[in-house]
Amino acid sequence: MNKPLKNNICEEKLFERLYKKHSKNLHDFLYYKFGEQLNPQDKVQEAFIKLWQNCSKIEPPKAKSFLFTTANNLMLNAVAHQKVVLKYNKLPHKHSTNVSPEFVLQEKEYNEKLQNALANLTEAQRVAFLMNRVEGKRFKEIAALLDISTKAVEKRIYGALKKLRKDIEEL
Amino acid sequence: MNKEDLIKKWLDNNLNPEEQKAFEQLEDYKELTKMDSSLKNFRAPKFAVDSNYKNLKPNLNKNSESNWWKPLIRIAAIFAIAFSVYYYSTSLDTEMNTNIAEQISVDLPDQSVAKLNANSLLSFNDHSWEEKREVNLIGEAFFKVAKGQKFDVITKNGIVTVLGTQFNVKQRSTYFEVTCYEGLVAVTHKNSTVELQPGDTFKIIDGKQITNEKETATKPSWLSGESNFKSVPLKYVIAEFENQYDLSIIHKNIDTSRLFTGSFTHKDLDLALKSITLPLNLSYSKSGKSIKLKRE
Repeated sequence: MNKPLKNNICEEKLFERLYKKHSKNLHDFLYYKFGEQLNPQDKVQEAFIKLWQNCSKIEPPKAKSFLFTTANNLMLNAVAHQKVVLKYNKLPHKHSTNVSPEFVLQEKEYNEKLQNALANLTEAQRVAFLMNRVEGKRFKEIAALLDISTKAVEKRIYGALKKLRKDIEEL
Repeated sequence: MNKEDLIKKWLDNNLNPEEQKAFEQLEDYKELTKMDSSLKNFRAPKFAVDSNYKNLKPNLNKNSESNWWKPLIRIAAIFAIAFSVYYYSTSLDTEMNTNIAEQISVDLPDQSVAKLNANSLLSFNDHSWEEKREVNLIGEAFFKVAKGQKFDVITKNGIVTVLGTQFNVKQRSTYFEVTCYEGLVAVTHKNSTVELQPGDTFKIIDGKQITNEKETATKPSWLSGESNFKSVPLKYVIAEFENQYDLSIIHKNIDTSRLFTGSFTHKDLDLALKSITLPLNLSYSKSGKSIKLKRE
């Protein structure tokens, strides 16, 4: 990775490498920020096509922020801020036979509360928080991804946690 | 280590075994782990990087290879537009015109100067001046022409050609007058050419040529704020008056073909009106923007 890359995104090899490096993060970022109904996957593809079309104008180090900004704008163009819906997966419990119906109901209620509370977070908080909790990314990685300081990431995530706990208690 | 720091460290997956123990002792521990395990259910849908890249690939046309000439086309287009604008604007005639009661001096591309009397239009082409010195004139102007090649003044009533002199050209509807003040002037009117010596005047009124006595002034009187007439029908005097003053003259029941000899000033309305009316035994009355002429 330390080898200086050929300075042209139009190189298909480099482009592919960029895709493999950023596409998932970009997708997760869009999903956690905007929810699922706007098809983050399409926006990822669109953003990469835009990157390809402008490949000669963008230096490789700038590619990541170009992708994130472009995808974000594509999203914003598509949405008049609909309410964010994050789907939770109803994974069948492994030991579902051992679980009482009460527990299942409680679990379901809790998940719904959590869902609402997540929707109430600010976009910035939600993205950082879910990248951390769900994707297991460390503060430093998130900071690099969002081009903000580690301290800011910490603040967002901790703020999100506090807000979530408060919301869940109240609901 | 306080609770908040512990939680933050836990969030960052950065607890050492000791801290881990302390964290597990926290009263919040149960709640946090419960939330944490539930949160895993909110994982973003799986993004299949490889297969998605395969889907994307056909959309990546080879724009990089066909791209190099696009900027060139743009540059070429800019040049083409710039050139055509340049060409168009330089081949366009320069136009100067004066309003009523206005006089201006126009510097022509060489040393020549044209002084434009009121309500006149002069146009010439800067671009082709080197090849042919040619101006179009509607109205009246006095020219001081620098020595050089042929210099043409084109009017509706005829062409005035000179080599380098001073002369006055006046063209108002059917009135056409050329006075030479210096050098030699050729006037072409209806296929006949007349040469004028200094002091000569060539005058056509309503298609008839009129001969005048020699002019003794060295420049036309209008340059010093007066209009001078020698046996000119009254209607042309009135027309000139209307050029110099922004007024209209009503002259019903008056024979405007009477000849007028004299002058009027451009600076004093009453004096000018008197200079016109007294010799012809007329009287005038002003009302707003119009002046009515009456027989005494």
